[in-house]
Amino acid sequence: MSPSGELLASISSALAVAFVLLACVELGDAAAAVGVYRLIQYDLAGAPLGSRAAVINHHAAALPLPAGADLSRSALVAPLLDLPLSFLREYLVEKKHLGGLLILLPTNRGGDKDSADDKGKVKGVLTELEKLLVHEQVPYPVYFALHDDSFDNLLADIHKIASSGQPASATTGGYKLVVSSAEPRKVSSPTISNIQGWLPGLKGEGDSEQLPTIAIVANYDTFGAAPALSVGSDSNGSGVVALLEIARLFSRLYSNPKTRGKYNILFGLTSGGPYNYNGTSKWLRSFDQRVRESIDYAICLNSVGSWSSDLWMHVSKPPENPYIKQIFEEFSDVSKEMGVSVGIKHKKINVSNPRVAWEHEQFSRFRVTALTLSEMSTPPEFLESTGGLHDTRESTDVESVTRTVRLVSESLARHIYGLKGRNIDVFAENSSLAINPHYIRSWLDLLSRTPRVAPFLQKNDPFISALKKELSEHTTDVHIQSDALDGMFTFYDATKATLNVYQVASVTFDLLFLLVLGSYLIVLFCFLVITTRGVDDLINIFRRPPSRKLKGA
Amino acid sequence: MTVFHFLNCAFLTFGPHVVYYSATPLSEYDTIGTSVKAAAVYLGTALVKLVCLATLLKVPENDSFDPYQELMKVFIGFIDVAGLYFALTQLTHRNISQNHKFQAVGLGWAFADSVLHRLAPLWIGARGLEFTWEYIFQGLEANANLVMTLSLAALGSLMWLRKNKPRTLIPIIYACALLLATMPSITSYLRRSLEWQTPKVVGFELFSSLVMAFISWQLFSACQRPM
Repeated sequence: MSPSGELLASISSALAVAFVLLACVELGDAAAAVGVYRLIQYDLAGAPLGSRAAVINHHAAALPLPAGADLSRSALVAPLLDLPLSFLREYLVEKKHLGGLLILLPTNRGGDKDSADDKGKVKGVLTELEKLLVHEQVPYPVYFALHDDSFDNLLADIHKIASSGQPASATTGGYKLVVSSAEPRKVSSPTISNIQGWLPGLKGEGDSEQLPTIAIVANYDTFGAAPALSVGSDSNGSGVVALLEIARLFSRLYSNPKTRGKYNILFGLTSGGPYNYNGTSKWLRSFDQRVRESIDYAICLNSVGSWSSDLWMHVSKPPENPYIKQIFEEFSDVSKEMGVSVGIKHKKINVSNPRVAWEHEQFSRFRVTALTLSEMSTPPEFLESTGGLHDTRESTDVESVTRTVRLVSESLARHIYGLKGRNIDVFAENSSLAINPHYIRSWLDLLSRTPRVAPFLQKNDPFISALKKELSEHTTDVHIQSDALDGMFTFYDATKATLNVYQVASVTFDLLFLLVLGSYLIVLFCFLVITTRGVDDLINIFRRPPSRKLKGA
Repeated sequence: MTVFHFLNCAFLTFGPHVVYYSATPLSEYDTIGTSVKAAAVYLGTALVKLVCLATLLKVPENDSFDPYQELMKVFIGFIDVAGLYFALTQLTHRNISQNHKFQAVGLGWAFADSVLHRLAPLWIGARGLEFTWEYIFQGLEANANLVMTLSLAALGSLMWLRKNKPRTLIPIIYACALLLATMPSITSYLRRSLEWQTPKVVGFELFSSLVMAFISWQLFSACQRPM
């Protein structure tokens, strides 16, 4: 090869590399990029449930749909309240395919403008929707997004295009929704982490026996239709906050040897709550038999963030049981002083039934006296009331949590210090032991910002570390017990994605454009030939070449 | 589909140059060498311009129209004229008539400009899913630019190559050349200070380029006439 040839070859290879590099340039020029949250995808005992796909690459469609519309190649964008559940149900039952579904969750943009009525409606619809989607296999991608102004514009534009009767051949070929998420992968060996801390009681001089223990337990993890939105402020963020505040109050009492009670207090933040309190069971099993037997009783806190006057005490032993009777009386005494009422609900446990509706039932299975305090009067169904989409900060109030803390800690203090029948407010307001609503508020705010679906929380997740740190501020012997979530569940990742909204031109537009462009160039050509060479030349161009070839031959 | 759009826009941006070359006698006289040389001169000029812009201009904090800065830009824009002068007078060409020379130089110049300024954004942008009119307008701008560069080259060849031209026309020729050289600044003024939208600006460019082309053509043919 000659030197110049080599040079040419090297130049051309360099050019090729440059072109390959250029072709790799990432294109990120969407009109709008919005964070969206995918419907949960999981297998329950091998049965595929939830949204089974993650990738959307379709034109956007909006309700109301024209009659006979085929949605198998379009992504439906629907505000929550406009989406008829019957429509979804029909699609699921008839196994009709949708290109994708984007549900816009209402945000309280209007501030206080939203009436309580409206909120109730939203809550009802959300609960229904979650029930429908979580327990079904949905073969198409379903995403949730917060309804903001950009979506208003998008919906308005889609409606405009649809109502003007123009098909997608107009210059505005509509909008294309693209979620280019990777194929969801199984979450490998999901772990559940239980956090525990002790407040050791004061042993008397001659006491050789182990001190009795009172356990206060709340599960902190959640489960909801959209794992990345499942913050569960009420279920069970409120319980966690109440537990932390009770721990804080009693740590103050226990720090002084004079006020240190003759009971150990065990605080447990358990995981795996939505899955039949799997974590609680694992946690109890991890204890030594003697420790377990030393537990006098356990108080489980579940959903205590939005009650006004009635709180329920759920037990699995009959109320006539002397222990239960005593505890209930203690609660009643305090509740009467507080002007609220505590009811008792008895539900027998059925050991052969895998469903565990309340956390205390796991204790009962280990023959530990336990109860659950909750605002719910009936046991929740499987995977319900576990921190769904409606369960946000707005549905929880600090006042309820404060009341719960007062009720539990006051009755607990009376039990520990034997103050029964005496009207002493241990945690009176303005005293150094007063309940701190700011503490409750800040923790409630934090929990309401943190999605806590257990399989997506790593063992060393900052949130778990934060809980551990907070608990170790008040208690001793804090440690995290990690275990694998029992095998019935398989979860898939890709809970969050970015939705790109593109305004696209249709192919017809491009064809038309090419046509116009072609004629422009031809006209230009003819014009130039005529002006510079004359009409004859133009005609000759189309005639000459064959004759030239003939000449050459 | 998006590659389709990219190709469309590329045709609109670069097609007229090719059509011009093949339709006019330029192709018959094989003047491609001249065009390539002009393009090379354009590259050198662009480099000099860049250096001047970088040294003499402040980076604007906002998109406002600063008269002093704009004046500097106009002067720097005249480097283009110097480059054209060099291309028209100093480059040794094969025996090529003045008539074809300015066309070849103008064509090479405009083509290099288009490649340098429009190819990369086109490649990056027009392949995306998002549809915008931007690249179509950019293509139209390239068309206007071709016409203007040709007019300027024509006037340049009148100014510097033609010795005996009608005396009365000389001021007009210079005025027109000045106007053409300041055209980029004028459009920038329209865009930034008067806040014209892109369609309006492009329309203005197309219109003004056609007007200028007509005037240059008239001037050129007036000078061609034997005195």
